[in-house]
Amino acid sequence: MLELFANLAHGFAVAISPINLMLCLIGALVGTLVGVLPGIGTIATVAMLLPITFGLPPVGALIMLAGIYYGAQYGGSTTSILVNIPGEATSVVTTLDGFQMAKQGRAGPALSIAAIGSFVAGCAATVLIAVLGAPLTSIALAFGPAEYFSLMVLGLIFAVVLAKGSVLKAIAMIALGLLLSMVGSDIETGASRMAFNIPELADGLGFATVAMGVFGFAEIIRNLDAGAEGDRELVQQKITGLMPTRKDLIESAPAIFRGTVLGSILGILPGGGAVIASFAAYTFEKKIARDPSRFGRGAIAGVAAPESANNAAAQTSFIPLLTLGIPPNAVMALMVGAMTIHGIVPGPQVMQKQPDLVWGMIASMWIGNLMLIIINLPLVGIWVRLLRVPYRLMFPSIVVFCAIGIYSINNAPVDVILAGAFGLFGYWLIKHDFEPAPLLLGMVLGPLMEENLRRALLISRGDWSVFLTRPLSASLLAVAAVLLVLAVLPTLRRKRDEVFVES
Amino acid sequence: MADTTGHLPGGAAAAPSARNLTGAWIILLLAVAPQLIEILIALAGLIVQTSGRTPSQVLSAHGAALVQAIPTLARQAAGEGRTALSSDVLLAVIYTYPLLAVALFTWLVRIRAPQDYYGGIALMAIALFALWASSDLQGMRGFSFGPGTAPRMLGVLLLGLGAVVAATGVIADGAEIAPYHWRGPLFVTLAILTFAVAIRPLGLVVAGLASFLISALGTSETRWGETLVVGIALTIGCALLFPYVLGLPMPLFPRFLVP
Repeated sequence: MLELFANLAHGFAVAISPINLMLCLIGALVGTLVGVLPGIGTIATVAMLLPITFGLPPVGALIMLAGIYYGAQYGGSTTSILVNIPGEATSVVTTLDGFQMAKQGRAGPALSIAAIGSFVAGCAATVLIAVLGAPLTSIALAFGPAEYFSLMVLGLIFAVVLAKGSVLKAIAMIALGLLLSMVGSDIETGASRMAFNIPELADGLGFATVAMGVFGFAEIIRNLDAGAEGDRELVQQKITGLMPTRKDLIESAPAIFRGTVLGSILGILPGGGAVIASFAAYTFEKKIARDPSRFGRGAIAGVAAPESANNAAAQTSFIPLLTLGIPPNAVMALMVGAMTIHGIVPGPQVMQKQPDLVWGMIASMWIGNLMLIIINLPLVGIWVRLLRVPYRLMFPSIVVFCAIGIYSINNAPVDVILAGAFGLFGYWLIKHDFEPAPLLLGMVLGPLMEENLRRALLISRGDWSVFLTRPLSASLLAVAAVLLVLAVLPTLRRKRDEVFVES
Repeated sequence: MADTTGHLPGGAAAAPSARNLTGAWIILLLAVAPQLIEILIALAGLIVQTSGRTPSQVLSAHGAALVQAIPTLARQAAGEGRTALSSDVLLAVIYTYPLLAVALFTWLVRIRAPQDYYGGIALMAIALFALWASSDLQGMRGFSFGPGTAPRMLGVLLLGLGAVVAATGVIADGAEIAPYHWRGPLFVTLAILTFAVAIRPLGLVVAGLASFLISALGTSETRWGETLVVGIALTIGCALLFPYVLGLPMPLFPRFLVP
């Protein structure tokens, strides 16, 4: 316990240094700025802004990226409430009650409750990361390659179960992602695989390139289908009175608490925690409410719970990354990318070898959340004005900005072309109702899975039963199998669909 | 939205069969796409002078491979001498022939959920292509994985999954393919390509502005006056932000203007 406080204190000492504070602030602001733009989700935001952190020292770069991440998420909820356009999947449910509140002229309280809920959840999640970090790291040291492999299988299955739409299609997307991750040099022999003698492919497909293609460009192309000016219902009234009333606070406090708990738990699980956390929190609130009919008509608990849950989950999803070195979702995968560029290999060793980095980042999360609440609420007016920028001007800007960003990662024009190709591919995926998120997760986990699979089999001398004879590995696989069976079972499927239909 | 929005009316047999023919043609094209692309690359090679096969060589090699593949396979199946197959023959055997079979199947069968069916077929095509692309890699060596083991395992897995997705599109009713638009995709892609081609020789200012204006063609709602102003402003902003503020080196102006 004492050690915990010492660690946190150390973290705050790192995070509070003027330069890191500054980077955290800039990250949160820029993240919100881009996150507010409709059609750019968290993943695309982080991918797009990744290059701007390259010139910074590692600690600063990660602090800024973390700031961008929750800034983007906050920006997403702002658009959900004000224009009924969720900036990303995690704030889809916020539109249900948030936009209704805005229509009733209560946009101010909705925005501030979202911010307060996020802040409270952020505080709890920060403490949780600090508490769980060290013990989980010691568990991680007991993990052999077989356990790692099984854990990643479990994570992928989670992603499948939690994705909306067809389970089969989600699994197919994961397989495709894993296959794409194989392009490039083989880790052990260095043999060039499926690279067709193209030098730029020798290192494999860049993760940021693919992410930008299927999440950035594809989304732009898709939005253009509906014509540049879709039906954007802007809330025209001036936003007055940010402060929630006492009644609002009393109503939303328990919802914030429940959302935080639910979100924290779901965030730790690998496989897209933040999205399901917000859905689960909303459904849960509605189930236990004394008067469920109020939901969907501007109930403040319907804003407080999902917003707290998605923020809690967004932060606790750092836990598997920092302790086990496994990115549980696509945003964390981009974080891995950023770490690798700075020469840091995420995993159990990072916590011991680079306490500055880990604890500094954890502390900066808390500071970043505080900044969001202090700075963003007064700035709501600016974000709204940004939303009034017509899409016909916005989308060419995004295209150019993304293109420059991709080019700057490796100074490679081929990367830009690849991102464009993946943009078209992403458009095709959308048309055929395939989800790109599992594909990206597969691509992220692919190299790690292959490496651990090969190592496990090498150690066991080619005996595949090693995954079942080692207790930890066997139980992880068992959980994965049970989850998969449950997901395919018709009764649960119906329930699962219900959750998503409510959006 | 994988619900049943696209119910085919029971009696409408004529319309689906016409669409099926189109689908079969598209799959046929997909089946020979790698060969066609290689010919195109070889044609481009005539202009830019690269080392590699000439178009006529490519054409004859693939033509011969497509014809020879079956007899070669038959001879191998009969156990007559295991000669290594050339890469072109492998492409024909692993990728083109299975897809030709699929095209034939598509033409014959009644497709009840085109969205799923064609999605699954495309996944199968990707899987087959990956199987061909990794066919030159070494497989298992004793009990340790070779470089080709994992790609092949996943290729087979994806092939199976794609087949099952396609099968659901034949068995159960489902959604139609959502309508495609050409304007947005075309101009956004063109803009990206322009940027990629222009950034090295012409620099950020020209490439950025050009791709801004090209992508603005992606919608009919563009007003050129304001687009030009915003485009120039954005280009200046990026030209200051990336090289100077962020310190990411990239050429700003055309190469022939910079001494």
